[in-house]
Amino acid sequence: MSLLQEEREIILSNEYVDTFDFAEVTEFVKNASKDLFISHHFKNQNKMLVQPRGGFPTYKKQFALYEFFVDANVDVLPLTIDSNTRLNDYATSKKMLRLSEENNVDMLNGYPLVNHGYRTTRKMITHFNKPVSLRHGTPDARLLIETAIASGIFEIEGGPITYLLPYSKNFPLDKAFLYWKYVERVCANYSKLNEPINRESFGPLTATLVPPSITIVIQLLEMLLSLEEGVKSFSVSFSQQGSMNQDIVTGAVLKKLARYYAEQINCGDAAIHLVYHQWMGAFPTNKNYAEQLINMSTVIASMVGADKIITKTREEASGIPTKEANAKTVANTQYTLGILNGLPNVVDEEEEEMLTLQVKAIMEAVFNDPADTLWRKVFNSIKNGVIDVPFSPHIINHNNMITIRDAKKNIRIIKRGNVPIPDRCYAYDKAQCDLTKDTTSIVNDIIHDIGIMQ
Amino acid sequence: MKVVTGVVGNDIHVVANRLIELSLNARGYEVFNLGVNTYLEEFFDAVVETGAEILMISSLNGEAEGWSREVKALKSKYKNLDNLIMMIGGNLVVGTGNAEDIVPRYKNYGFDIVCHQVDLNTGLDMLESLLEERGLVENKSEIKNIKESAIQERNS
Repeated sequence: MSLLQEEREIILSNEYVDTFDFAEVTEFVKNASKDLFISHHFKNQNKMLVQPRGGFPTYKKQFALYEFFVDANVDVLPLTIDSNTRLNDYATSKKMLRLSEENNVDMLNGYPLVNHGYRTTRKMITHFNKPVSLRHGTPDARLLIETAIASGIFEIEGGPITYLLPYSKNFPLDKAFLYWKYVERVCANYSKLNEPINRESFGPLTATLVPPSITIVIQLLEMLLSLEEGVKSFSVSFSQQGSMNQDIVTGAVLKKLARYYAEQINCGDAAIHLVYHQWMGAFPTNKNYAEQLINMSTVIASMVGADKIITKTREEASGIPTKEANAKTVANTQYTLGILNGLPNVVDEEEEEMLTLQVKAIMEAVFNDPADTLWRKVFNSIKNGVIDVPFSPHIINHNNMITIRDAKKNIRIIKRGNVPIPDRCYAYDKAQCDLTKDTTSIVNDIIHDIGIMQ
Repeated sequence: MKVVTGVVGNDIHVVANRLIELSLNARGYEVFNLGVNTYLEEFFDAVVETGAEILMISSLNGEAEGWSREVKALKSKYKNLDNLIMMIGGNLVVGTGNAEDIVPRYKNYGFDIVCHQVDLNTGLDMLESLLEERGLVENKSEIKNIKESAIQERNS
């Protein structure tokens, strides 16, 4: 028996799992409908796929949510997991699920997949016969993704960096890399049976003034960590940044460099997709304005040439959205995509060059780390600040990079910390900003820059 | 002047915490930022370890109210913290409340300066006035001078 299989048996003999039947699950994946695989839709569909977010504690409410989404002409269904499950606290999620079922109130902020189990959840997934994307935020997702794939969920979001640095203060990053290595291997193995399982990285990170070079570097590294384990279908992603031009430039550079670096490690045969998140920062409380913002995000996603868009709702500022509001966004986004025709092709060569130089310099510094494996190089690079994510709560993150918006609302780096931003690019970024102000005014500008959409 | 700061309890809201650090640095303080998700013991341990004169606690989700009730009892277990300046700010209740009720309550918990939904710079000005009052700085311009040299350093 392989080491991986031994580890799988330990993970799946968890007291919250009702006997995991490896042979049956393998047969299920082998014979599963192609419609359940988002990788199959990416291959065969010419339109941008629309995917909302959403998870409710009970089977019944999740089922009802999916009915609303299907009526709204959804392309990809989400399964958002509750926060207890994300932290592997299955005892609490079990209790909260029971309370939710008995009292008809939602005691969890998502679907506790491990507690429901794959036999139950699979009935719902195969009933709707649409691709489902697993949305979570889990550093140790080993049991969760085993349960997901066995349920018929063939897209797994996340990664060791993007699911840790924005969400956790002190979960050990080295452990996260090893737990995600398991996820990549399991996804790679299942990918041999039918259409490939798609892995997606979470580009928005903290959604707070993250400069495009940092976003792209982390997307590329999570992609490489996944492809090197044998994953054949991967989505890089980012969220709306605040300047349409910067989004278009980011999309172009991310696409080009993803292809370039995949070929560098002889994984050019993998399919790589681009996902765009509608605005992930602070939303306006005015629901009509929220709808305008969402609509604008859809237009930019089209200009960027995204393969999939992930939607927000008009109720974003006020908490977990109702299924009605959630489905409404799906219908509106499909409508906007349907009427958006004859888009101009915008290329900003100078900005593309500057961004490419920044990304390549950081990537080079990561590769030059003396560690023996890629994940250790990446780990060291985060630890020594070569990669620095603005507004990450994690203790390993340096927080020495400072960014603000220029007059056109592009995110610019005004303090680079240990990140090896080339001098020319650094001077270019700073030249776009008014740095004659004192620090107090700059802090006020940052507060304003974070809340530009409110 | 040394300041220990951080967000109390299981609160993970990090944005304001970073901005507080930036602003304190800009005003010339030496900052020890414990970040989000910090328990009371960690704050007091850090004060002892760094020899800080000021402890500045923040809260966004309002859970500070629960923690603050334990401040006096916990602080009394440490030696030599009698002169520590205690400041707290952010959203100091879960849900809504008004400052007239909240401020005296928190003063009773042992805080010298209480800023419920007060603008960051106003809060930091309040701190400077208190420092001046207690004779810890000669006058406001002393911090300001440090502040200006810090800005020059940054802009150079």
